[in-house]
Amino acid sequence: MAAPMESATKGIRLSGSATSFQKKSRSKLIQIPGTKPSVHTGQLIISTGVPSLDCALGGGLAVGSLLLIEEDESDSYSRALLQYFLAEGVMSGHELFVASAQDHPDDIVKDLPSPLQDEDPEFKTVSSSNLDQQDAMKIAWRYQNLPKVQTVLSSSSRFGHYYDLSKHMEQDLLQNAKIHTFYLHEEQTAPTHLSGVLGPYSVLLQSIQLLIKQNGFDGSNSQVKTCNVLRLALHSLGSALWGDNVCVSPAHNHAMLTFLYALRALLRSSLSVAMVTVPTHLIRNKLIRGRMIRLCDTAIALQSFSDAERNNNPLYKDYHGLLHVIQVPRLNCLGCEVPDTKDLAFRLKRKQFTIERMYLPPDLSDSVSRVSKVQRTPVCTSDGNKHLDF
Amino acid sequence: MFAELNSILNTSPDDVTQREFILLSDRKADASFLLHHFLSFYLKAGCKVCFVGLVQSFSHYNAVAQRLGVNLVQAREKGQLVFVEALKASAAVMLNESSSDVAQLFDYLRSPVPELRALFEFVCASLSQAEAEADSSSPPVLIVDDLSVLLSLGVSVRAVLDFTHYCQAAICSRLQGSVVTLVRCDDEDDDDEDDDESSSRLLRALTHQCTLSLSVKGLQTGYCRDIHGQVEIWWRGTGENVQSQRKIFQYKVYDKGASFFAPGTSSAVL
Amino acid sequence: MLSEGLQATEPGGFLLIRDTACYSGRRLLKYYINCALKRGEAVHVLGFEVPEHELCAELDRNYLHLFHYHNAYTDPLGWTKQSSFTVKHFSATEITRLVQETQQATASVLVIDSLSWVVRHHDTVAVCQELQKLRKGGSVRMIFGLLHTDLHQQGIVGTVSHLASTVISVTPVNNARYAVAKISQRKKSGKVMQKEEFFSLTEDLTLSIETKPNQSGNVETDLHTKSEVDPMSNLTFNLRLSEVEREAKEKVALPFVFSEEKKSALLRPGRGSGRIMYEPDANDDIDEEDPDDDLDV
Repeated sequence: MAAPMESATKGIRLSGSATSFQKKSRSKLIQIPGTKPSVHTGQLIISTGVPSLDCALGGGLAVGSLLLIEEDESDSYSRALLQYFLAEGVMSGHELFVASAQDHPDDIVKDLPSPLQDEDPEFKTVSSSNLDQQDAMKIAWRYQNLPKVQTVLSSSSRFGHYYDLSKHMEQDLLQNAKIHTFYLHEEQTAPTHLSGVLGPYSVLLQSIQLLIKQNGFDGSNSQVKTCNVLRLALHSLGSALWGDNVCVSPAHNHAMLTFLYALRALLRSSLSVAMVTVPTHLIRNKLIRGRMIRLCDTAIALQSFSDAERNNNPLYKDYHGLLHVIQVPRLNCLGCEVPDTKDLAFRLKRKQFTIERMYLPPDLSDSVSRVSKVQRTPVCTSDGNKHLDF
Repeated sequence: MFAELNSILNTSPDDVTQREFILLSDRKADASFLLHHFLSFYLKAGCKVCFVGLVQSFSHYNAVAQRLGVNLVQAREKGQLVFVEALKASAAVMLNESSSDVAQLFDYLRSPVPELRALFEFVCASLSQAEAEADSSSPPVLIVDDLSVLLSLGVSVRAVLDFTHYCQAAICSRLQGSVVTLVRCDDEDDDDEDDDESSSRLLRALTHQCTLSLSVKGLQTGYCRDIHGQVEIWWRGTGENVQSQRKIFQYKVYDKGASFFAPGTSSAVL
Repeated sequence: MLSEGLQATEPGGFLLIRDTACYSGRRLLKYYINCALKRGEAVHVLGFEVPEHELCAELDRNYLHLFHYHNAYTDPLGWTKQSSFTVKHFSATEITRLVQETQQATASVLVIDSLSWVVRHHDTVAVCQELQKLRKGGSVRMIFGLLHTDLHQQGIVGTVSHLASTVISVTPVNNARYAVAKISQRKKSGKVMQKEEFFSLTEDLTLSIETKPNQSGNVETDLHTKSEVDPMSNLTFNLRLSEVEREAKEKVALPFVFSEEKKSALLRPGRGSGRIMYEPDANDDIDEEDPDDDLDV
């Protein structure tokens, strides 16, 4: 068991060793619960609420960055991620801002998953299964000393909490948390002085900006001394319920792009992190999707196997969907933390959501047809030499 | 500044090619590391640089530049660097909170038919001033990161091209300086024959205009940990008697630099 | 034909060079400018894309007094108020005025570098109408235009090309050292000539045209056919037939090849449906109890 863990820590230390010195001393200046400096860039990062997702994104979400989640078709998994993100905020004592046009934000908050008090279930299951295997190796004993392949992404240091999706968070936890909500249908119409380029999002942008300013997340308000992180969760941006026509109109430039750009600017100058989910599969003009990804820092896409075709594929039987890491930010450094693999899949167990490296299950059927790799047409060079030499 | 890239391009901070219009582009990859290279390169060469940062905050550019051995804060205080914090200012303009002169600079955010004239005039003024002050031994440089963001903000391809044309005419031809721009293609392929407002349309028009093009692409074979992509360097061979020439390298970006190698010769492969 | 592009056209001709980002048609345009200068014609360039010094760098020094560059490069939209000619001035009357201001030679040639700039800022229909007016106006003998086809929609490219009397599309071959020019020339008589030529332009703007290799018009395929080796040349056995042998071979009657009579007999239509006629004879031993003859009774 120890082997994969050790190699993981070593790997991190090696890649971070070049810069870790100065950054650590600097990070001492800011002590905010629920944050830590990134081992790679020294940036302040927070957890998404799903430790394996943190891992896939290179540690967590940098404060001041914008995460885009491309929704799966039924919006069930992306909604779960949004709730994890908020639940982690509650547990870390961060301030929350929830905006939605579909469900009332209070309903989203009410359903937040409850934290698991016993630590690290992933860790546990792995170690126990390993013990069982110790004496199980009788025939394939040569493999006994090989480390068990760990598919669940995890890092050595504990960061973020685990949650139980089957239970709702206790009321007293929620009451202590500072939660701001934005429900489009309860807001008044857009004030006239705002520029028209933001379209239906002008009220939203303004209330975010007001919140950041009044509660001192940008450091401008000297009366508010407390240093805290603001988590913004914007649900299903771009859907028709926001009053946005991006799903039906073939136009190129769009209010949503302008809004994302302005949001990015606001985040950069404040202690806040935003998670935006967008139903990109509905967007009519495909160019807009690319532009949206460029305007966000981190972008991931969820692709569920709910459609029958994938569901029946034995390749995917262990998973509920694929997770595509589309973009990892390069903040304050040239490169970014590069993962080993991009073949990631997620599964939603009864209690928790995990992201794993995707492995093909062994093919046990008899009828496996092994296609021999005979190259039918040997590629000849056309340099006149037609005598084939083998 | 990546020494390897300098030797490929056959330049050094002591010997800066003048009147270059350098086009950086990417598709399914990230070419911003090249932008940081050119920023630090021209600052080390002692050029007066005007940097329009539409994508990131100043602190980001500064943090990266420090890793490459250049201090942007000092350069800004010295007056060597004029940094247009377009990201920060744009939000202020959108929320109607900026002073009128800043708002005027970003008037493309408000006007129904956006034009980048104000931005050009600002850039030109800040670089022309430099020429009046200093002995014009080192040429002025404009760097824009990145032009495709403007398309997202509702600026038409035509308006962006007008802007780059004026920049080329003013900086490359009149001031004997250089222009570096980045264009990021957001579409899947370049089969959008009838799409006037796509970033690949912008890219093609700029390719006609540029003297040197560095286009970054992801690997065709997919993701790889040790090879981050390939860059095609294309000396366009316009103007003076330079032959048009193309070379392809693969690259890997590190914390403090990048390495370039011929395709298939990555240390991870050999 | 590429080199004749200039001479052969009647007055009022419009030669359009179409290029893409892969290969710039500007050098070919420069070649034509140089040719016109050498013939003593005044050349008026509406320069949007390239500054004057770059355009006239390789031209013949002796004829530069005939070269007139109307600077629309520095300030094509009038932003800096430096230039006299902006893209807004693109109209037949304005251009005629410009050309006639410096009328000294017998004929003058108008070069538009490039039409892409003009089309980007004007309605295509209006541009075409102005071009047509210029051709009919008589102030210029010929118009040369450069159009970057990859910057415009198909329809726009087609419309402008339709107007031209000669269209030359250039594409690179062999790492841009050579290029293929597809020329299609439309005479006043209505005759259309189409040709493909390989060409290269040297530093001092001399045009060398390679002979057109083959019908497919591609250097790569040409090289390929040359290197093709006859697979029957070095065989240890004989695969060829002499005439006598062939005749002998054709005489051999092959099995299952029927004579004409038999064929026609077989092909004759039968009587409607097929039927099996069978009459048992003495040798057919029919067992009433076991008709199939398979029971071991």
